[in-house]
Amino acid sequence: MTGSTLLLLPVGFPWVLAVALALLDGRRSWVGWLAVAGLGASLVSAFLLVHRILREGPVEMVTGGGPAGVGIVLRADVLGATFAVVSVGVILVSLVYEVFVGVRSRTFPTLVLFLAAGLSGLFLTGDIFNFYVFFEVSMTAAYVLTGYREQDYQVRGAFIFAVVNLLGSVIFLIAIAALYHVTGTLEMAGVAERLREVNPNSLITIATAIFVAFALKLGLFPFHFWLPAVYVGSHAPVAAILSGALANIGNYGLLRFGGAILSEELALGAMAVLVLGSASIIYGALQAISRRDVSEVLAYSAIGQVGYVLVALGIGGAVGLSAAVVYAVVNSLNKALLFLVAGLRGPLVGAAFAVGAFSLMGVPPAVGFIGKIAVFKAGLAASGVVQVAILVALIFLGSALSFVYALQIYQRAFLSKEPQGGLWRKSSPWTARALVVALAALVLAMGLWPEPLLVLGEGAASTLIEGGSP
Amino acid sequence: MILAISLVVAVVFGSGAFLVLQRDLFRVVVGLTLISNSAFLFIIAAGLTQGTAGFAQGAVPILPIPGGSMASDPLVQAMALTALVISMSTIALLLSLIYRLYVAHETVDLEDISEAEMRLAEALEREEEPEEEGEPDVGQAEEEIEKRSR
Repeated sequence: MTGSTLLLLPVGFPWVLAVALALLDGRRSWVGWLAVAGLGASLVSAFLLVHRILREGPVEMVTGGGPAGVGIVLRADVLGATFAVVSVGVILVSLVYEVFVGVRSRTFPTLVLFLAAGLSGLFLTGDIFNFYVFFEVSMTAAYVLTGYREQDYQVRGAFIFAVVNLLGSVIFLIAIAALYHVTGTLEMAGVAERLREVNPNSLITIATAIFVAFALKLGLFPFHFWLPAVYVGSHAPVAAILSGALANIGNYGLLRFGGAILSEELALGAMAVLVLGSASIIYGALQAISRRDVSEVLAYSAIGQVGYVLVALGIGGAVGLSAAVVYAVVNSLNKALLFLVAGLRGPLVGAAFAVGAFSLMGVPPAVGFIGKIAVFKAGLAASGVVQVAILVALIFLGSALSFVYALQIYQRAFLSKEPQGGLWRKSSPWTARALVVALAALVLAMGLWPEPLLVLGEGAASTLIEGGSP
Repeated sequence: MILAISLVVAVVFGSGAFLVLQRDLFRVVVGLTLISNSAFLFIIAAGLTQGTAGFAQGAVPILPIPGGSMASDPLVQAMALTALVISMSTIALLLSLIYRLYVAHETVDLEDISEAEMRLAEALEREEEPEEEGEPDVGQAEEEIEKRSR
């Protein structure tokens, strides 16, 4: 199979199938399984793509077979393909979960497929406007998905989500138009190359706009206000998709634009990025401790966890960037596992939750340990003794606080003798429980054998650095 | 020209931002439409003068036109068109969400809606402990909504 075919498959499978399934009733289980099969095929092709990239270097193709600069460039490097595998994987697990529990809306499988197609397209494109288009495809699907199950608070959550994120998208669109204006091209490599000749004053404005757009998407500290309202009401698999897959847009966007295209502006604003990341870690953890509801705690914890990615990004360099990639991957697995488990009841669910909680705290052998260690190493690599001391203290403090809230919710949800709100009334289907146990096993296995993850992280960091400042 | 366009973009964006901060949900959507439109104006404006890097001033990324006649940049127009379609679909989705909230609450005012939700939550709490979302027997809340919407 040629590289360019392989590049199209992760996007093509879910996209074509999504259009076909839109005509069918998604509540039938065979339709759901068809969607699962399509996503599975997409995941397998993304895996093959990663394998090929690691062996032969980045894969690139231009649509329509035209010369580069005329057609739209699709490009897969280690960073994009890694994020594609993780995001499609998380979406696949969430879809299988919902098919086991029972799909209640005819559009659910279609929307999930559209979201997967948009996400993998976004990770595998080499064109900034195409990035925006795929970004909107997945966001629009996500707006509708947030309202899934159509409870009042879910519809309201979807409205808030759509309004806030539409604002973020407009800011991003304006930044793209500005980038095009100053460089005259939309191709990422070309933009990065021509930016070196551009007046730095205008670039700082553009970089700030892009940072705000992605920070809004991630729910970083000063832009976090919408996040709890949306995550708390959402149905468990939807919350897992939003937190485990969709938030990767923000991580990937910050890494791609900050790490590679606007790397000089990132270095210039490193202090601001570090401060915002630290504020996010502390604020998210403190808020999470003060909440009682499991999904609310997880929502605030999500705000705190993205702070680590931002801190690693702010430190920069090969160590910092690879730590950011590793932590982003680890975080999406953790969040997917925890949100899925939060929707279940019955035997073994508590064990799966415990694994997720340990991973969140960064206790070995769960994969969270690998992420924390990577950020810790990046902290040691920071310049200046004072900075190193502050960052190391911050990482310890953040972990200690996450210890508190993770154990608090574990105690409340799974250890209390008198279940509140009919918690133990009915066990969930054993298939769904087996699924989360399998996901927990994956989290443990990746922690015990972290080699592939670290290789991917380093590969991604080196492509970013080579592409950014040649 | 540049000053005029930047003023228009600023005014449109500003009015949109003002409307987004209103309590009436329709105004929020109209405000978002205005903000998106200011972005489209900005994209078109980005094609008025070309960048200094890579291109000579005034050059457009298309094949040369015989006779040395001037051409406007087609790429920004294609981008604006694409963004327009995306924004239209999202606005339609937002309107449908508002309709869904209107059916449930018979109002589009944010404060009325949150008040009604508080009342609903209290009513549920009085009858029994609040139920976990996602269990098969959430019907309680749904019935309540249906009763209200009649």
